[in-house]
Amino acid sequence: MSEKQAILDMEVCECGEKNVADAIEIFQNSSLPFKKAKKLVTECNKSCCRAALLKIYDMNQFGSFDFDEIENIIQQRLDRLKRLAEGS
Amino acid sequence: MQTPWKNLRAWLIKHQAIDNSVKEAYEIRRLDLSGLSLQSLPEEFALLESLVFLNLSNNLLSELPASFVKLSKLNNLDLKRNAFKTVPKALLQLDLGVVNFSSNELEDVGTLFDIASLRVCDLSFNHLSQLELDIQEHLNLRTLNLSGNFFKVIPQSIGTLVELQRLNLSQNMIETVNNSLTSLFELEDINLSDNKITSIDESFFTLGLEHVDLCANELRTLYLSHLEDLESLSLDENPLSYIELDESFAPYLQEFSCDSCQLSEFVPLSSRSLNSLCLSSNKIKVLPENISRYENLTQLDIDNNAIAHLPYEMTNMTRLQTLYVTGNPLDEASKEVIKVLHPDICDLNMKTGIEIEEASADDLTQMARLIGVLFQIEKDFSIDFDKQLAGITKLYAAEGTILLVAKYEGKVVGMVTMQRLISSAAGDYIGQIEDLVVDEAYRKMGVGSRLINKIRFIALQEYAYQRVQLAADMDNTNALHFYTRRGFRRTNLNVFHLNK
Repeated sequence: MSEKQAILDMEVCECGEKNVADAIEIFQNSSLPFKKAKKLVTECNKSCCRAALLKIYDMNQFGSFDFDEIENIIQQRLDRLKRLAEGS
Repeated sequence: MQTPWKNLRAWLIKHQAIDNSVKEAYEIRRLDLSGLSLQSLPEEFALLESLVFLNLSNNLLSELPASFVKLSKLNNLDLKRNAFKTVPKALLQLDLGVVNFSSNELEDVGTLFDIASLRVCDLSFNHLSQLELDIQEHLNLRTLNLSGNFFKVIPQSIGTLVELQRLNLSQNMIETVNNSLTSLFELEDINLSDNKITSIDESFFTLGLEHVDLCANELRTLYLSHLEDLESLSLDENPLSYIELDESFAPYLQEFSCDSCQLSEFVPLSSRSLNSLCLSSNKIKVLPENISRYENLTQLDIDNNAIAHLPYEMTNMTRLQTLYVTGNPLDEASKEVIKVLHPDICDLNMKTGIEIEEASADDLTQMARLIGVLFQIEKDFSIDFDKQLAGITKLYAAEGTILLVAKYEGKVVGMVTMQRLISSAAGDYIGQIEDLVVDEAYRKMGVGSRLINKIRFIALQEYAYQRVQLAADMDNTNALHFYTRRGFRRTNLNVFHLNK
């Protein structure tokens, strides 16, 4: 498990070049539903980081952030990409 | 000499899973041993024969003691985020109802589904690419989560789970929806999002599904038919350029979403029950005049298309509460239609550039006036500008307080405050939210949500308050709904005042 600041610094969206802290800030400054708020983060219509952003969005709605869970879901995606690149 | 129970009791107390009041093993029915970096469990664990619910998530377990089989009453087992590579054999002899193996390293599930009592099974985020089941039919499993694995095809063996109601196959590598699901007559809810699906077998459309999520796939065209029980369908983020509809399709559909696709034409769904329609970010140019036949529609999202004209018939859609239309080259007549419709939320009416920031001394006068707006609603308080200014000034100077304002072009249009209390229940500081108010002209623009989100984040994350709480006027139903939707839980406490 990483320190909270290290998790806040983790990149969550490559397209929009946003880290976890950026995503939280954007969601806090928006009252839009997820589909629209997500586009503010990604600045695109792709779905690569959808699962991680949905988790952060829901946590923001309910006011409590589980940073271990955020780290886990980002790590899972990276592991998965690595595994796919290795030809799994 | 220590007895096995004394050893186990000491171990459980050390890990704060029980307190000293527990004297006997049979008293323990629920146990939370999550997040303790455990690599193994003591053999004496089997003494907990009354255990019904066991949370072992977020540890480093890769096996369970053989004596686990003695936990004959265990029904709900959470093994999320551990290091299991195989399903422990001891589990197969238990009458488990719910098991969570999410985020482990399972490459096969062995004979897990031989547990006849199993009703809910979470196998998400493992290394599964196939599902080999020896059984003919599994009559109890209702919910199965296989998301985040490596399935390239929907396993044929899923067809043996004949009572399945909810199936999550999202975030796999599935390319086609084959006929494996044909025998799942009870299936109501399926999530196939984030795959690589390009085609769907026609047998899929004969199922009794109520909720279908096909977002983020590679569907280019789609022929929709039957699915007579369907209530919601999400097709967002597919490169869909054309959807053909059979007249038999989903007569009772309530929600349809096709956000960020490539549709150039409106999708003329036949359901009169539709209450939410999202066609945002497509290439649609024309809305049909008969769009008003969706008389139950409460949310319409058609932003970022190429629509120039909203049909005047839309003014008959009296239940429409939310309308997103920005990013379209709308003509003046369309703006008149929106005026007549007057939805609660419309992005055209939203003001951009409202900023949330910490209050400065210069804002206090405007804040005192805003509190007066709040007191017009709350019968317990009376408006007195001087008192409100004195109060907000004292609050501004006090330690541990947070004052946020929403500003538009330099004017304070919303505010919220929080002050620090000490809770003996929490054993630490907590935050008391007060005075959340938004100027009437700036309501329905999300200002209140942004204020509450921001102050809650500062309180819990930056000030590390153990809890935030607030009091709301029982007659202010809007406020009660607002807080409930944002995760606040209503308590049994009432507020009493004794004035000097």
